[in-house]
Amino acid sequence: MIAVDGLVKCFGKQHQIVAVDGASFQAADGAITGLLGPNGAGKTTLLRMLATLIAPDSGTATVDGRDVVNDRYRVREGIGVLSDARGLYARLTARENVRYYGRLHGLDGAALDARIDDLFAGLGLGALADRRTQGFSQGERMKVAIARALVHDPTTLLLDEPTNGLDIMSIRGLRELLRGLRAAGKCILFSTHVMQEVSALCDTIVILGRGRVIAEGTGAELLVRSGQATLEDAFVALLGSGEGLAA
Amino acid sequence: MNRIVTVAAKELVDTLRDRRTMLVTLLTSIAAGPLFLVLILNMAANQAERARELKLPVQGASHAPALMAYLQRQQVTIQQAPADYEARIRAGDLDVALVIDADFESDVGKGNAATVRLVYDRSRDRARASIDAAEALLRGYNRQWGTQRLLLRGVAPQVALPLEIEGVDLATPQQSGALILFLVAYYGLFASLMGGMVLALDSTAGERERGSLEPLLATPLAPPEIAAGKWAAIAIFDALVVLLTLFGFYLTLNFAPLPALGVPFLFGPLELLRFIAILLPLVALLPAALLYMGIRGRTLKEAQANVSVLLFIVSMMPVIQLFLQKKEPPWLLWVPISAQYTLLSRALRGDAIPLLDWAQSAVVPVALTLLALHVVARRLGRETALGSRD
Repeated sequence: MIAVDGLVKCFGKQHQIVAVDGASFQAADGAITGLLGPNGAGKTTLLRMLATLIAPDSGTATVDGRDVVNDRYRVREGIGVLSDARGLYARLTARENVRYYGRLHGLDGAALDARIDDLFAGLGLGALADRRTQGFSQGERMKVAIARALVHDPTTLLLDEPTNGLDIMSIRGLRELLRGLRAAGKCILFSTHVMQEVSALCDTIVILGRGRVIAEGTGAELLVRSGQATLEDAFVALLGSGEGLAA
Repeated sequence: MNRIVTVAAKELVDTLRDRRTMLVTLLTSIAAGPLFLVLILNMAANQAERARELKLPVQGASHAPALMAYLQRQQVTIQQAPADYEARIRAGDLDVALVIDADFESDVGKGNAATVRLVYDRSRDRARASIDAAEALLRGYNRQWGTQRLLLRGVAPQVALPLEIEGVDLATPQQSGALILFLVAYYGLFASLMGGMVLALDSTAGERERGSLEPLLATPLAPPEIAAGKWAAIAIFDALVVLLTLFGFYLTLNFAPLPALGVPFLFGPLELLRFIAILLPLVALLPAALLYMGIRGRTLKEAQANVSVLLFIVSMMPVIQLFLQKKEPPWLLWVPISAQYTLLSRALRGDAIPLLDWAQSAVVPVALTLLALHVVARRLGRETALGSRD
């Protein structure tokens, strides 16, 4: 369960760049919430604040009731983060990459290895488990990064544009995985600017523009509110013509 | 604590698998020092050999048969000087040549001072031993001849030679060969810097550039734990390189053909242990400093530029000390690097090193290590540690 209330984050010497401007929304457990917005809407900044990597200038956010500023180490125990930067250690094998994170989360020994085997089997990484990630394809790397984010069985998942650079087959695999996690009761928040992702997967859609929440609801609700026939048109209508490339 | 060990272990495994880095590190620190040393020792040995077996090209040897006989008695091989001896000396093919004036015999007969010319190029280091030997021989002949003349006239030689110069060389055999001494100490220092460099950069700026820092910061790891773990890995690796480098010196200095030099160089097991003890504070400090330089760089390239500043400082301080050629002031033992260089030189000279001196040399490095780790942890905790944002 994620609750965001009036979050503000500015960058720059005089705080002149407003990245997130009073965003408020909630993401429920056992549901997939899509954070939809054009480039520069503040999606990554918002996710970074939820991941406790940066502190908000004002407003609050909690993950499972824990404050992302005051209680940040306990928040980190319960979240799995697939950040914008998702580099692996090229000289370590896939298993060692994931095991490292498992150990940092306090897991170890046979239990950890069994958990990694499970994750790799689910992601179709079994054959690659003990190869160095040096020569992995982008999709394979992404799978390892996902396994890394899931190794400690977090209750909440924060995914920043998880489908970036993936082929169709990998995207389908990822969707399956996320649906499975939803069924297991996880709270999943992921950001994207790809419309198909949202319509195929999300229970709730939060549309972000210029750091503000512009609209929130299920796909059907958003269609009704905008009076459009497709989600894409609804998206453009809700954002207003000022967004997009012209902005 | 567990998490610190986890971070350190991961960094070490990561580095040990980097074959190219390992090779470069091995070559630069472990093999290059001893290799260089063997070359220098060889040169020095050759020089000693040259002085001992002086071959002296002489022009006009027939004008001074008595001098030639004297030189031959002193184990000098007399050769006929080639016609172009001046050009050859300039080119460095000949070290020195002796030219005896055509009027030598007639001058001697008239009771005038006879002229011999020693031709050399003093700017050539290699020739210096031969030049000095030839000069000394001619002076010896001069003195012997004059003394004989005085004796013939019934004058005690002391009348003309009121000063008896007796050189008492206080240098123990180990104290000679200052250049070699400098090199060994210098490479010891250098190894403690080079050893950790690649790992430090890779685990800081490299980690950020690869995009693996952000996920790491989102784990329950606290920034001080990251700093401590990475530092521990770099320090362990650094210590390993220092040990191997010193061991390379140990092998070189004990099994290379040194006796020809007449300098029984002291670098036995005791010196090896002393070296390790002296370098220990730097094995803590330099990895911490490297870590700081690395975390300051937004990119690997920037971090490398930062590190070259450190490289410059570490490599210049001993050189400055060498050129100052003064007795070290006592406060120098407070200055990192200079203190260690001073103590290393002392260990090589076979001087005693009081425990208090060692402790003094360790105070500032330990304090700076803690400070650097603190600053690194603070930087990791800042939002800017993440680098680029959209």
